[in-house]
Amino acid sequence: MRNIFTLLGLALTLPATALAAEGKRIQIKGEMIDTWCYFSGVMGGPDAVIGSAHHTCALWCSAGGIPVGLLGEDGQVYMVLKIEGDDGSAGGNTQLSLASHEITADGIYYERDGLKYIVVEKIVADHGITNLNHEDYGPVPGFAIPEPKK
Amino acid sequence: MKRIILILALLAAPAAAQDFSAGSGAKTWNLYAEKPARFEAKVVDILCELTGDCPENCGDGRRQLGLLRAADKALVYPNKNAQAAFTGAALELLPYCSADVEVDGLLIEDPDLAAKNIYLVQKIRLVGEENWTKANSWTKKWAKANPDAKGKGPWFRRDPRVRAAIAEDGYTGIGVEAEQPFIKELFE
Repeated sequence: MRNIFTLLGLALTLPATALAAEGKRIQIKGEMIDTWCYFSGVMGGPDAVIGSAHHTCALWCSAGGIPVGLLGEDGQVYMVLKIEGDDGSAGGNTQLSLASHEITADGIYYERDGLKYIVVEKIVADHGITNLNHEDYGPVPGFAIPEPKK
Repeated sequence: MKRIILILALLAAPAAAQDFSAGSGAKTWNLYAEKPARFEAKVVDILCELTGDCPENCGDGRRQLGLLRAADKALVYPNKNAQAAFTGAALELLPYCSADVEVDGLLIEDPDLAAKNIYLVQKIRLVGEENWTKANSWTKKWAKANPDAKGKGPWFRRDPRVRAAIAEDGYTGIGVEAEQPFIKELFE
């Protein structure tokens, strides 16, 4: 009984941060995506808001300060907080230069309140844009590519 | 003993069970998984919150900011401000770094996409303050930071970094020359 009351006391007094999981090292291969379009469905299904079809929008969103995520081969989104020392997660240059790229990232993984996060310590490989889905979906959104001037 | 187990179970209940729509005046974006959500929270630097790496003033706008919700201490991630212009929320929250605020907006929770505690912030005010501030200042801040990019059209057509990236790799990222047949066909 005393143990149960001790547990109860701990649960009541520990701050939420102390209950968060510790970071652990992982290596993830995946695509650098714009998370708002992916999570909200504002422009369609998840397959249409990644890859070359969505590249221009990924640039807009990254430059606009929308969070960038790494969509891993495991289908999970890892919210990117830092890349090789650049903590510019709200519109920074490093993440902008990697928009839509498939990368292999080595870093520290955190999980908090249902979201996954990664601090990328090293980009092990930059595979470039490998998801060439623009022929399938066209530009997403449709106005991403302006009509060329004649 | 049963009561104690029940109390422990309640303490462990996920925040998802809570409804934050009471009193919300959030405007719909007609998103599949949106729910109005008004709540009190502390504005935090997410990287600092998770790792202990904590620069002055929440990173001065470089970093993403989170909302540590008062009711359940859940870390809510504002991905979006109130403008329909490809713009994030960090600059809207920066003036409130480390402050206790009340926010109103849309919470996105979609288990199919593992979207959890994703937020679109529409209004912010300090706890106890009467007047709300609309979370729609991003484009004005961009214009101030990019005086040489004045012109017609929205910011994302004029942004120097975006224009440079498209000039180098094209709209699809596969290369300016490589995408020409696709663009030609698109407008035929």
